[in-house]
Amino acid sequence: MNESIGDFRDLTRGGARLSLVFYSGGFPMRWSQCSATAEYFAEYFADVYTRRGAGDWARNEFVGTLSYVVNELVENAVKFSMGETVEVTVTIEGEELIALVSNQILATTVHGLREKFSGLVAGDPQEMLIARVEANANNPDAGVSGLGFLTMMADYGATIGWSFDPVADNPQNVLLRTMARLQMRNQ
Amino acid sequence: MSDATVKGPGYSVSFAAETATVHFEGSLRLGTAEYEPIAALLNRVLAERPKAITLRMTELVFLNSSGINTLYKFIIAIRKLGDMAVHVDASATITWQSKSLQNLRKFLPSITLTMN
Repeated sequence: MNESIGDFRDLTRGGARLSLVFYSGGFPMRWSQCSATAEYFAEYFADVYTRRGAGDWARNEFVGTLSYVVNELVENAVKFSMGETVEVTVTIEGEELIALVSNQILATTVHGLREKFSGLVAGDPQEMLIARVEANANNPDAGVSGLGFLTMMADYGATIGWSFDPVADNPQNVLLRTMARLQMRNQ
Repeated sequence: MSDATVKGPGYSVSFAAETATVHFEGSLRLGTAEYEPIAALLNRVLAERPKAITLRMTELVFLNSSGINTLYKFIIAIRKLGDMAVHVDASATITWQSKSLQNLRKFLPSITLTMN
């Protein structure tokens, strides 16, 4: 299985980027560490962005946007990861800001995720966001909000892509890579 | 309802009865279930049926999508009551607010939003 949904593409090989890899073990990533990870990437790349002048966002908009997107992607990884490595990569290519998070998930969850992701890229993000919030309001017991990708797409103009790849030594797991791309231009 | 506060590491949400204002402060990036104490505080405010409330967001630097869901659900609950006026004090320099708070009008057209 090598499959992608939405706007996923491999990063330029050898291109400038920053990756953090979280190896499982005695101190797996916890929820409260998602935000610290997001803020680290946002502050680090704010300097890269400011020096390059690669877009017309103000610094605070750059920091707020990258911090929001990385936090949401890493929260997903912590929620669904099967305790293996989580890798977070951020890069700037031209006027595009790219965040990529890789983590392993149970192979049995792929079918449901494929349907969910295909639905997300097929509709109008703004309409889906409103519909999802109204549905959540009518279902107080919903355990998840389902707004992470929808807010990134509808409010931040992000394009999202996913890829599923086999894990060589563990057929029960699948490597999920999630990519968010943002044009650093005012819409 | 008297004054009430929910506090955690790096955030607080407090209700001031005298001004009917809910003041959000800090960085809120909790898991969905962890928002329950905040949702409970907001529901207690609703149960009092004040004629008007203010949500002060100008010191809430971050809010994740689970928190945005909690906020939107609160606004929809107000719409369902039908007769409560809501004002939101927001900051244009806080990114999540400039990106997401415009949506509040879609859930409650009568809401007033100040974005300074």
